[in-house]
Amino acid sequence: MKLKVLAAASLSLLAITAAGCSPAPAPESSAPPAEPGELVVYTSRKEDFVAPLLEKFTADTGIEVEALYADDAVVNRLKEEVGSPQADVIIGNDAGALEYLRLQDVLAPVGEIEGIDSIGSAYRAADGSWFGLSARTRGLIYNKGLIGEADVPTTIWDLTDPKYKGMFAITRGGNGSMIAHVSALRAEWGDERTEEWIRKAKDNAGAITNGHGDIRKAVGAGEFAFGLVNNYYYHQQLREPTDNNVGFIYLDQAEGEMGAVVNAAGVGFVAGGPNLESARAFAAWVLLPENQREFSNASLEVPLNPEVEAPEGTAAIDSYRVHGLPLSRLGEVWEDTRSLIERAGLDLELK
Amino acid sequence: MSAPVLYVGIRALSEPAARWALLFDERLARLLWNTTALAAAVGVVAGALGVSLAWLVNRTDLPGRRTLRWLLALPFAIPPYVGAMAYVIVFGPRGWVSRAWGSTPIDMYSFAGVAFVLSVFTFPYIYLVVGSAFGRLSRSHEDAARSLGLGRWAILRRITIPMLRPAIGAGLVLVVLYVLSDFGAVALLRYSTFTTAIYYQMGGFDTGAAAILSTVLIGVTLLVLGAESLSRRRSRFYEGTGASGSSRRVELGWARWPAVAYVCTVFAVSALVPLAVLGYWAWQGVFLTGLDARFPEFALNTLQAAGIAATAAMVLAVPVVYLRSRHPSRPSWAIERLALSGYALPGVIVALGVIFFSLRLAPAIYGTMLMVATAYIIRFLPQALQSAAASLASVSPRIDEAARVAGLSPVAVMGRVISRLIMPGVLAGGALVFVSAAKELPATLLLRPAGFDTLSVRVWVEASEGAYHLAAPPALVMVLLSLVPLKLMLDRFKEPS
Repeated sequence: MKLKVLAAASLSLLAITAAGCSPAPAPESSAPPAEPGELVVYTSRKEDFVAPLLEKFTADTGIEVEALYADDAVVNRLKEEVGSPQADVIIGNDAGALEYLRLQDVLAPVGEIEGIDSIGSAYRAADGSWFGLSARTRGLIYNKGLIGEADVPTTIWDLTDPKYKGMFAITRGGNGSMIAHVSALRAEWGDERTEEWIRKAKDNAGAITNGHGDIRKAVGAGEFAFGLVNNYYYHQQLREPTDNNVGFIYLDQAEGEMGAVVNAAGVGFVAGGPNLESARAFAAWVLLPENQREFSNASLEVPLNPEVEAPEGTAAIDSYRVHGLPLSRLGEVWEDTRSLIERAGLDLELK
Repeated sequence: MSAPVLYVGIRALSEPAARWALLFDERLARLLWNTTALAAAVGVVAGALGVSLAWLVNRTDLPGRRTLRWLLALPFAIPPYVGAMAYVIVFGPRGWVSRAWGSTPIDMYSFAGVAFVLSVFTFPYIYLVVGSAFGRLSRSHEDAARSLGLGRWAILRRITIPMLRPAIGAGLVLVVLYVLSDFGAVALLRYSTFTTAIYYQMGGFDTGAAAILSTVLIGVTLLVLGAESLSRRRSRFYEGTGASGSSRRVELGWARWPAVAYVCTVFAVSALVPLAVLGYWAWQGVFLTGLDARFPEFALNTLQAAGIAATAAMVLAVPVVYLRSRHPSRPSWAIERLALSGYALPGVIVALGVIFFSLRLAPAIYGTMLMVATAYIIRFLPQALQSAAASLASVSPRIDEAARVAGLSPVAVMGRVISRLIMPGVLAGGALVFVSAAKELPATLLLRPAGFDTLSVRVWVEASEGAYHLAAPPALVMVLLSLVPLKLMLDRFKEPS
């Protein structure tokens, strides 16, 4: 009798599974059949920046897009999904993460891509698994009401100077841009000096924030004189209706100095993604100059391709000195840099 | 049901010892302290609020107590992450208060801020449980004490509070389990506990560490549950059915007006202010900037995922509860225990388990919304079970026997006779599961397939971006939905009269 009851229980379970499956067309096999004309995009970029681009893609090509906006979690999600990839394309914020994924065999090239040469070779993977599209240059946003341009630090090392004690904000150590920045510093200075910089800059900082949005708003509102951000945060703050009396300094610009550290946002291709043809179409489409512009436009980032028109009022990528580290070098030191940051005492997450 | 959770443990144990050691050194002490300190602070504050308010409206001559009784349960309908958003709007660094006066009395992004928000939105657990205990409490003990010459306060201290201890304990456990599992409010206020650490660990590249942290958190949760059942075993006493409701209420005298002020302040802080803020932004969102064009799609996604979870939970609940009640045995007991274990599990851990589990054993559901629904079922099935069990308790086994004599098979007895009789309880349980699933945040964030945002996800996304006019409309829907379980809860805890 007990057996019968158990059988009833399992039957009802089956019924649920069936009922659950019928409204949503769940894939029958482990490899979901690729519906022609679909593209699955995972992105760590903000929805406001990516959604208009994807809408334009659908309008231009007729390919429907399913997007997942999930911050840095997409990187890990792609890693977990290696056995049954769900996404075709990742739109990432950080070349280091893209290269890291390539090294883990999560990303793979989709073949020859037309127009790939318009992106400098320092800003893409050698095999074409990913390429950068817009620059995210590190620098200092400052409040013109609180500090004169001449008094803002001009080098990244200056953040360790006790005279700036409490005057500025930086992000937590686990922020993607911060990790990439520290990786570049390691390449320039070596680990010992980089650790010293982190330790001193962190103690000197008036606040350690979760993200850069907090810094631009806080500097704009006059809570801090300046803060370490990516350049487009300055342009975003300029366009705010209030709290917009801000300026921006590109660091280490003098002769013999390292130049401003540049990271890139860009596009990567998931190995074994369900819609290879759509991914190819997206790669070619996004490299068209007008779409390269569209990619940078919403976030006010500057196109990596100097031929492409930059958003109004922004400095073109070839108008300041940049640090020469190829972005693909960021991937191999990724994990290592995280532990170095942690070791130096800058928490990866806010606590 | 517990298979996904076992997977988390296996994954954690298969991590090399060095990773455990590293985490122990660098993170665990801090996270343990952060988490337990928060749970303790919220337990104390919510406990004090809940017990004092329950006493005032149930045992004194507080003016307006009939209205205040249900008003004070209202914060139960405000998900803490929605409450946290409201208080960031009011007291945040660029919020209303600091815009108006240049500074705020409380830093929302601090321990005090998180403890404040969680206390204010979880005290109804204690308030409702203790309030119902007051209702059931026989007055004869108090009357006896009074006739022996004890004063009002001595009675409170030596008779009433000790007799309420099991109810207070039960309410506190609910609050502490909530604090251990909360993700949204803690993360919005940028505090760090186990749940947020696990979530962000998965945001980094480190699922192994997430599994390890999850295992430790499961341990902490089990400790809380163990301590509760231990203390319950030690202090058990039975209440007679004697005189209840007959004796006088405590007369507050001059203290009644300060008491009214206190109760109204708590109500304002925990319900009025957040609802006003939400209402304001929802108004702005709907009528000035226009509702997000995808709002119907988000609502449909919520409806679909929560609907599947609620249906499945109802169908599953009947056989499990029936087995347990009519055929009590070790397996049926084990089945119920396993199902209940999901209750205490934070959503981040369930999500982690569902990911591991489905990737390896059920790849067909991976990447579909069934993953989200599965997590909901694991987390909220206990609500359906409890509700169905309560209904079944009132169905006499004689009915089974009669049906069997009439020639029905055991399966038919359960499927055609019993399930019909307990349908109201099952439906109520389904409603509870539906609402909990609609409000669920962390597992939804981690499991949703591309293009499948729910209302709760939108509240989180927009609130994190400070786009309150977009966050408020779906948040308000959450609050309205939550009135359903609140109603069920109030019915269950109604003062017997």
